[in-house]
Amino acid sequence: MNGWLVAQDLLWSAVAALGFAVMFNVPRRLLPGCALAGGLGHALRAVGMELGLPLEVATLVAATTVGFLSEWLAKRYQSPRIVFGVSGVIPMVPGVLAYQTMLGVFELAGLINLSTDPAADELVRTAVLGIKTGLVLISLALGIIAPNLLFRRQQPVV
Amino acid sequence: MIEKAATAEKRPLTHTELTDIIDLCLWAGQMLLQHGANSLRVEESVHRLGTGLGCNWLDIVVRTESLTITATSGDEFRTKTRRVVRLGINMGRITDLNNLSRRVSEGQLDRFQARAALEQIDRQPGVYNRWLVVGMVGLACAAFSRLFGGDWPVFGVTFVATAVAMLVRQELVQRQLNPFLTVAASAFVAGLIASSAAWLQLSQQPQVAMSASVLLLAPGVPLINAAHDLIRGYMSNGVTRGVTGLLISMAIAVGLLLAILLTGAGI
Repeated sequence: MNGWLVAQDLLWSAVAALGFAVMFNVPRRLLPGCALAGGLGHALRAVGMELGLPLEVATLVAATTVGFLSEWLAKRYQSPRIVFGVSGVIPMVPGVLAYQTMLGVFELAGLINLSTDPAADELVRTAVLGIKTGLVLISLALGIIAPNLLFRRQQPVV
Repeated sequence: MIEKAATAEKRPLTHTELTDIIDLCLWAGQMLLQHGANSLRVEESVHRLGTGLGCNWLDIVVRTESLTITATSGDEFRTKTRRVVRLGINMGRITDLNNLSRRVSEGQLDRFQARAALEQIDRQPGVYNRWLVVGMVGLACAAFSRLFGGDWPVFGVTFVATAVAMLVRQELVQRQLNPFLTVAASAFVAGLIASSAAWLQLSQQPQVAMSASVLLLAPGVPLINAAHDLIRGYMSNGVTRGVTGLLISMAIAVGLLLAILLTGAGI
């Protein structure tokens, strides 16, 4: 994967993160941080997958990086971590996987007719897609809260 | 005459003061919950606010659809519950409320100033006007289509489909339609317009436009909060949020299915 492709990836995912940040009504001064987190996270995942990591693992690594980046940004801008964390992982949300899973379910139910494969193959393919979707989502959530889990152990405010 | 939160000895509050403070805490907690904060953040912020305003202790029960607080001071205590409805993510308010609870716990504000600040936060309209949001969300999902390997016609179709779906969503939210129906209707509109990539033969990859243009509806925040709550020990809230996320995903699927059945696109 060359630098130009990574740069493109970074740009588009930063735009995606920015758009969602605007939808979530993130204050203006925090928008650059959201775009940065979103761009870096997704580009890092692309690089990780290029290096041969499975999707789920690359996602976990990238989301954890976004988590630590959010921690730093939150300190810098005096704002809640979740603002950067959520915007930062939005580009990695497994939209296509979820979409394909959904198509598979409808196919199994006989609502649509896309392929002529035997139902058993269809079932396995859909299950695998569903499991992957779930694992990527869990990786995202774990990654964002990793800093919190690892370094903010017990200081019970409550 | 508010004392610093750090001082161990606090003056016992009168009944009226306690009533007022618990009211402020419920208000702040309600806004945090409504706008997408996770359970731990709600509990911590409300606790900081209450003790910062002079209570000795607060016991807070956070649920996704209600909030119960018992505030204690001296020999007095009061308990109140508030119902929490409506779900709309608003990071601006969460940031403001977070700052407010920090300032109160540092002793910068008394309860009258805190009430004024809460009123101001509650009145504050969105930072961005709705057309800017529509445009930006359209651009975001169009960017997604590029990430999914879509070509430029798909980029354009996704932009239009997402922008119109966002408009539909804004209108339906304003009319307070059931949230799941709102999502299904928006997904239907997005799918219908995105499928034009197939029947106008604009591109070989209509499925990219279909999947990218419904991403504005994806339940990212409920699902992330679900995982956070589960790991942090708010089991029932985590499960509730997870099921909410699942139902929203299913609503997207239903809307898309209708669009696919109607147009025959989406392969």
